[in-house]
Amino acid sequence: MSAVSVMEKPATPAQEQPFGETVYHLQKGDQGIALDIKDFNLWYGDRQALHGVNLTVERGLVTALIGPSGCGKSTLLRSLNRMNDLVDGLSITGKVVLDQVDIYDPRTDVIALRKRMGMVFQKPNPFPMSIYENVIYPLRVDGVRDKRLLDETVERALKGSALWDEVKDRLDQSALGMSGGQQQRLCIARAIVGDPEVLLMDEPCSALDPIATAKVEELIDELGGHYTIVIVTHNMQQAARVSHNTAFMYLGRLIEYGKTETMFTTPKLGRTLDYVTGRFG
Amino acid sequence: MSSLQDTVNPQDASSYDSAAGVHRREAVVYPAARGEPKLWSLGGTLAFGVLMITGFLILVLWNGIATFWPKPIAVVTLADGKIVAGEQTREELFKPTADQLAKLTPQLRAVIAKDDGYATRRLYRTGNFDFYGDDSKWVADYDVAKVDYPRDMVLAERREWGPFVGRLKAVVLDGVERPVTDPSEGWVRDALGQAQARLAQIRKLERDEIGGINHKLEQERLALRRVLLKSGADSAAYGEAQAKFAAREAELKKQYEALSAEAQALKGRNERDRIILTEVGGAEKSLPLSVIVRAYDANDIGLGAKLAVYGSRWAEFLTDEPREANTEGGVMPAIFGTFAMTVLLSLIVAPFGVLTALYLREYAKQGRIVAFVRISVNNLAGVPSIVYGVFGLGFFAYILGGSIDRLFFPEYLPNPTFGTGGLLWAALTLAIMTVPVVIVATEEALAAVPRSMREGSLACGASKWQTIRMIVLPRAMPGIMTGLILAMARGAGEVAPLMLVGVVKLAPELPIDGYFPFVHLERSFMHLGFHIFDVGFQSRNSEAGKPMVFVTTLLLIALIAIMNATAITIRNRLKKKFAGSQF
Repeated sequence: MSAVSVMEKPATPAQEQPFGETVYHLQKGDQGIALDIKDFNLWYGDRQALHGVNLTVERGLVTALIGPSGCGKSTLLRSLNRMNDLVDGLSITGKVVLDQVDIYDPRTDVIALRKRMGMVFQKPNPFPMSIYENVIYPLRVDGVRDKRLLDETVERALKGSALWDEVKDRLDQSALGMSGGQQQRLCIARAIVGDPEVLLMDEPCSALDPIATAKVEELIDELGGHYTIVIVTHNMQQAARVSHNTAFMYLGRLIEYGKTETMFTTPKLGRTLDYVTGRFG
Repeated sequence: MSSLQDTVNPQDASSYDSAAGVHRREAVVYPAARGEPKLWSLGGTLAFGVLMITGFLILVLWNGIATFWPKPIAVVTLADGKIVAGEQTREELFKPTADQLAKLTPQLRAVIAKDDGYATRRLYRTGNFDFYGDDSKWVADYDVAKVDYPRDMVLAERREWGPFVGRLKAVVLDGVERPVTDPSEGWVRDALGQAQARLAQIRKLERDEIGGINHKLEQERLALRRVLLKSGADSAAYGEAQAKFAAREAELKKQYEALSAEAQALKGRNERDRIILTEVGGAEKSLPLSVIVRAYDANDIGLGAKLAVYGSRWAEFLTDEPREANTEGGVMPAIFGTFAMTVLLSLIVAPFGVLTALYLREYAKQGRIVAFVRISVNNLAGVPSIVYGVFGLGFFAYILGGSIDRLFFPEYLPNPTFGTGGLLWAALTLAIMTVPVVIVATEEALAAVPRSMREGSLACGASKWQTIRMIVLPRAMPGIMTGLILAMARGAGEVAPLMLVGVVKLAPELPIDGYFPFVHLERSFMHLGFHIFDVGFQSRNSEAGKPMVFVTTLLLIALIAIMNATAITIRNRLKKKFAGSQF
């Protein structure tokens, strides 16, 4: 009981402020907009998880989503390739536009949409098959049988995810025998094997040790040149290191979205400053 | 208990420090909070279960393994001068009746009275059913004057009337009698071997060749009947077919007669080789040599010869057909029937159960209806198996099989083809009975596939069906196999419903043979479980069948164990494939 009152007393003034307008000062890419999220609201049953999010993802840049647990950043990410469709009782309003097409339009083919986006999850989730089969899984799904094409693709994807030198001699062994870091890089290889337009990453390093994390971050840095990446992370340093733009979310709302450098040094809102300096979260 | 407990008053244990508003825990551990006493009872139940199963297995194993071992033949001279000869199979304590006691001397009565009125008696397997009208006899110890083990006693296993216990007098070869007492002499063995070879040849002629002719004749008759049913009795086609049938029939009859004469000649030859045996009472019996399965001088053979007899008995048991109302001979048709039914059952139940579970778990909208279906499926597992038998007989055999007969096999009627119990209907009935196990196990296995894997697959652009086929099903396969193993074991061990839907006491024709279409799913078959019931409780005397009950039980358990072990090996191989660092 006393513990609770201790928490209440030093509540930051920033947190007591009502939610104002989102502040934008993002860095524009030179290739236009990849994803345009417009007035996006999302409910799990009766509980609203996202409140009127407006956000553009710049093509070719890395966009980081940060915020305390439960702020809706993972929900937002999973809305981008409609992974949330699996959840019962989900309802949304608003739009997510990819190439002038709203992905929530009833006419949109979800499978075709997901083929244009790669996704990397919080925990490495290799399939119970060989390393080779794991990487070419998206091609198997498409019914590709050309052995030479498959071999080339595996090599390219594994080189792309900086895993080739480690596993080239044991491609036929089970992917489940790899270390956690290798598994995650394998999942990244799997996500980029179909050359997606957007790469979604949901806290890709949270289950990895610091060395594996460094490798994955390095990889994100390299991929950043080719792919549009949206990454959710809890690790502020990581967001600062790898991203061009950073969106700060809080209680289902987008609070501030801007150039990463600015966000971590001189954000426009006190609430953002409190979070990035670790005063709450 | 810790020494801490001694220093703290248990009443203070839940003291509540109201001033601080904090519940302060005391370092007292109540006995009830400790797990160890419960552990003893948990371990105890396990030990009890293990003890019962081990006891059962040892009983079956010991009796089953000992059954075929050649035992010495005792010749028991009773006090009244009668002689009983046979293998001792059992001994037990019993209470002689007043009548029996009245006939005894006072000394014997006193001995029995001292033992609280109990005396020992022994059961001798005397054989010679054709002489005594029984093949075992109880002998009370107080009646016995003398027990001998004469070296010339012979046990001869016959194809009819069970074993013969007595002495060998002579062997007649092609009418020439040669006296002999030892059946293990070389020329006797050779003669026996030749007689058996001729018998095998006769069998081959009768079963394979004459059987083949009969099969062809039956096919011709059915073809004729088909024409009759199709075109009518007055049609030209029928007249033509009739003429063709007559010609064919005459031709086949000729073949049949040639073969029959050949068989008859061999039979005549076998009649001329005879064996003359004398029973302990002195009665003589002359038998064709070919009737003897094996004969050995039980009290005179060494370990090697005993092992040979033991081995040949096992070989006969495993590869031959039963004889003497199933109490002797082999159980090969039953092994085959059990195996074929179990395999067929697994082939039916696996896709049926897995597809149902897939729909219930992956596609059906979870709600009241699905919950109701699930409860119903679970309830199916609790229905008495005989009810499934009745259902199988009524629905599969009569309704379904009857319709199949009317549509596809009208020429066979009124003899049913599918319209009676058979391998297919038995397998289907047991499949319905065991499908809940597979459904429940598969549902659990599907539910245990990590959500992250499904999401990973969907995120790769796989459709729901591709995800299930390529990721979910392989990953759930070990769990599905577990369900299949349970279903298989239950199906293989089930007897009650089978009695109604296709298992018979004796099925001379195997479900798989050389006649088109080679696999005959409509045929009735033999089953080890039913064989146990039949031999143990339905045969003319249960004492003769008792050893067979144990051996057959041993075999059934072994068969189920082998099938389970195979399935478990496959499952473990699958598990290994999917195991690894999964965090």
